[in-house]
Amino acid sequence: MAKKVLVVDDANFMRTIVKDTLLPNGFEIAGEATNGMEAVTMYMKLKPDLVTMDITMKVKDGLEAAREILAADPNARIVMVTALGQEKMLLDSIALGVRDFVVKPFTKERILSAVEKALQ
Amino acid sequence: MIKINAKHVNPFVEAAMRVVTQIAGIEVRRGHLSYKEKVEPSFGVSIIVGIYGFLTGQVVYSLDGKLAERMVDKMLDGKSPQEKKIMFLDCLGEVANMITGNAASLLNQRRDQILNITTPAIAAGTNLSVHLVPKPALVLGLITQYGPIEISIAVEEKETLQEMGMADDGLLSET
Repeated sequence: MAKKVLVVDDANFMRTIVKDTLLPNGFEIAGEATNGMEAVTMYMKLKPDLVTMDITMKVKDGLEAAREILAADPNARIVMVTALGQEKMLLDSIALGVRDFVVKPFTKERILSAVEKALQ
Repeated sequence: MIKINAKHVNPFVEAAMRVVTQIAGIEVRRGHLSYKEKVEPSFGVSIIVGIYGFLTGQVVYSLDGKLAERMVDKMLDGKSPQEKKIMFLDCLGEVANMITGNAASLLNQRRDQILNITTPAIAAGTNLSVHLVPKPALVLGLITQYGPIEISIAVEEKETLQEMGMADDGLLSET
């Protein structure tokens, strides 16, 4: 059965790139969220197998959304996808329990590899 | 006295070259560097991204509409004209987000602090005026085969403000 992915990013372009990478590789897109608040609500409703999560978003950022999702479901599989590749942000994300940290711009191979490894 | 620092420029050059080349397949070369008393975008499309942390301020990207169209066309290769139209501003905002985010990562060599950025604000079209906080900026010109990109960097270092008067080879100042 295809693994379901929730794609979270405020940029339609970036959600499109992630979807265009995952769909031909056997994944199903469970839903799309444009900010952290939507992401938390949709995660609880859709129960996806994995979340790709942007960090810089209005309303609620991706780190806070990841914190809330992991508090509710410690087994949640989240891959951060962000333009901010700073060491503290990476360490904070790992401490939260996210599975991988992909820095934009990324290659299709990089995002695919991160998603596949996070689901193992 | 307001101070800005030339050492903040190179990370933006490096980030812009990396991002624009990878995402749009467009080669970028470094152009001129100048100083302006306040940010005034030169071209029809402007994207503004805020930076906050131990550096604070704004970075304003300005480019001609034709270059913007070419960039989006390449970023969305294979998509329909309708999809390209819908995602036009979104793509430009994401380019600015990635350049600023990558530059912030290069600027931040500290393990204990995060240099954050805001979501981009975009203004595009004719007869538009952009109202910005009137701060001095280093203006970096970048050259592509489809036209120039102008990056106005108006950021201040918190420590620099606290240590006014200290010697630093890279400092420009305005009194």
